[in-house]
Amino acid sequence: MGQGGRDQRQIQSGQGLIDARPATWRLGSNNQTGPGPPFGAGRDRGFMAENSVHVQIAALRKIYQTRREEIEAIHNVDMAVSEGEFVSILGPSGCGKSTLLMAVGGLLPISGGSIEIDRDAVTGPRRDTGVVFQSPVLMPWRTIEKNVLFPIESLGLRVADYRDGAAALLEMTGLGGFAHNFPSELSGGMQQRVAICRALIHNPTLLLMDEPFSALDAITRDAMNQELLRIWQEFQKTVLFVTHSIREAVFLSDRVFVMSPRPAVISKIVEIDLPRPRTLEIEETPEFNVYVAELRKAIEG
Amino acid sequence: MARADENSIPAQIATQAVNLAPATVISIAILVLWQVIVVVLKIPEAILPTPTRIFGVMVERRELLLQHTWPTALQCIYGFLLAVAVGVGLGIAIAFSRLFRTGVYPLVIAFQVVPKVALAPLFIVWFGLGTTSRILLAFVIAFFPMVVNTFAGIQSTDPVMIRMARSFSASRWTIFSKIEFPTALPYIFSGLKIGITFAVIGIIVAEFVTAQEGLGYLIVFSEGNVDTPMLMAAIFVLSVVGVILYALIVLLEKLVIRWDVGQKL
Ligand SMILES: Nc1ncnc2c1ncn2[C@@H]1O[C@H](COP(=O)(O)OP(=O)(O)OP(=O)(O)O)[C@@H](O)[C@H]1O
Ligand SMILES: [Mg+2]
Repeated sequence: MGQGGRDQRQIQSGQGLIDARPATWRLGSNNQTGPGPPFGAGRDRGFMAENSVHVQIAALRKIYQTRREEIEAIHNVDMAVSEGEFVSILGPSGCGKSTLLMAVGGLLPISGGSIEIDRDAVTGPRRDTGVVFQSPVLMPWRTIEKNVLFPIESLGLRVADYRDGAAALLEMTGLGGFAHNFPSELSGGMQQRVAICRALIHNPTLLLMDEPFSALDAITRDAMNQELLRIWQEFQKTVLFVTHSIREAVFLSDRVFVMSPRPAVISKIVEIDLPRPRTLEIEETPEFNVYVAELRKAIEG
Repeated sequence: MARADENSIPAQIATQAVNLAPATVISIAILVLWQVIVVVLKIPEAILPTPTRIFGVMVERRELLLQHTWPTALQCIYGFLLAVAVGVGLGIAIAFSRLFRTGVYPLVIAFQVVPKVALAPLFIVWFGLGTTSRILLAFVIAFFPMVVNTFAGIQSTDPVMIRMARSFSASRWTIFSKIEFPTALPYIFSGLKIGITFAVIGIIVAEFVTAQEGLGYLIVFSEGNVDTPMLMAAIFVLSVVGVILYALIVLLEKLVIRWDVGQKL
C-alpha cells in the first residue's frame, strides 16, 4: 500500500511538473549544483538503500560551553537519511532539535562524533543545503524577489541567471504577484513561504527546516504543510524537518525520529507507511491516528 | 505603507505640508501677538524690535546677511561631513574590533563628558582664527551621536538573520554590507539628524570666539553696535540655515530608507 503511494509520487514528479519549469530555470540551477543529480530526478527512493544515504550522523555529541557550566545538549545521536527522504525530528522543547539541525547545516561546531553529507564531513555551511528557520528572517529593506535571490548573491552566483527561477518559485507558492512588495506587506504565512522559496533558489539537495510553521495559526499551518509536500514531491529534495507537533510529523514524513529530553538521544524511529500524495483527509484515517498514538507514547515515556 | 505611489516624494511633501498647518497658524499668531505687544507697550527697538522691522532689515541688508550666511552654511556642512566620516567609521570599527570596543569606546564616552565648546579657545591656539578651528569644533561636537548610533545600529542586527546569511555561505563582508549596515541605517540617520544640529552649534560658537566672518560673527558684531534688529535678523537666517540642512538629511533619509522600519519581523 505504501509502496504504491511512493510509485505514484515518482510518476508525478518524473514527468509533467518538472518539465513544466521554464528551461532557463533548469539551466540556471543545473550548472551550479554540487554533487548529486539536479532535482533528484531518477534517484533511488528506497530508504536505507546502502548507496543512497544522503546524511549520515554517527555518535553525535554537542556540549555548549557557557560561562558558568557545560550543557550537554546532545548526548549521542545516530541517524541515516536517504536521498529524497522526508524525515522529521520530533521532541519536547529544549531537547536539542535545533542544535542537531544547525550542526547538520554546518552552523554550529560539534563536540564529538561525525556528520557527513554525501560522504563528506560537514565542516561549515554547504552550498547544496537550504535552511528555513522558525521565523522567516526576511530583510525588511529588500523586496520579496530580492529576498529570494539573496542566497545567489551570497554564494557569489550570477543573479541574472536566477531571476526566472525566483519568479517560478514565487508563482508556485502563490506569491507571483508579490515579487516587488516588501515583507512588511505580507502575512506571516506568506513570509514563511518566501523563506522557503529562498531556501530553494540555489537548488540545494538538502532542505533543513527548523519548526518553520510553528508561529502560524492552525489553518495556515495545514495549508503550508500541504504546500510543502507539493514542493517536496516536485523537487525531490531530502528534507530534515524539526517539529514538536506529532500530527505535523506524521502528515509530512517518511520517517519520524523521536528525540529524548536533554541530553538527547534518538529514542524511537517510526516509519510512516501512509500513501502519497497525502491530503488533509488522511488525518481522519485510523492508520494516521495509530501513528500519532504510537509517537505520543514514545515521547511521553 | 511602502508602496511607491503613496510613498512618492511629492506625496510625502504634500502630507507634511498638511501636517505642518497647525504649527504655521500658531507661528503666525505668535508673530502677530509679538508685533502688537511691542507697539502697544512701546518697547524700545534695542530691546525687542517688531517682526516687521526684523523682516525689513532682512530685505534691506540682504547682501550683508548673505555674505555671512555662506561661510556659516559651508563650514557646517564640512564639519558635519567630517563627523559623518569619522563617526560612522569609528562606530563600525567599535562594532567589529574588540580592541576598539574595549580601548577606544570608553574614551569616546568619557570625552563626551567634556563640554566641547570649552575647547574653542584651545583650537584657536592650535589652529589659529581661520576656518580650520571652526570646522574642527563642529566636528568634535557632532561626531559623538554618529559613533554611538552607528555602533548601536550594528549591534541591533537580528542574530538569526546573520545565521540565515551564514547558512548561505555569506562572507563576513556580505554579512556587514547586506545585513548589518542596512539594519544600522535608520539608527545612523537619527545620528545624522542630531549631528547636523550639533554641527550648527559648533560653528556658531566658534564664530563667536574667532570673530572673523559668518552669522555667529554678525550676531556678536551687531550686539556690539546695539543693532538688535540686525542681531535678530541674523538669528532668524541662522535658524533657516539649520532647518534647511536638517530637511536635506530628512529628504535623504526618505530616499534611502524606503522600507517600513517600524516592522519587527
Ligand atoms: N548557545 C547556547 N548556549 C548554551 N546552551 C544552549 C545554547 N543553545 C541551546 N542551548 C541549550 O541546549 C539545549 C537544546 O537547545 P535547542 O535549541 O537545540 O532545543 P530545541 O529542541 O530546538 O528546543 P525548542 O523546541 O524549544 O526549539 C537547551 O537546553 C538549551 O538550553
Ligand atoms: Mg528549536
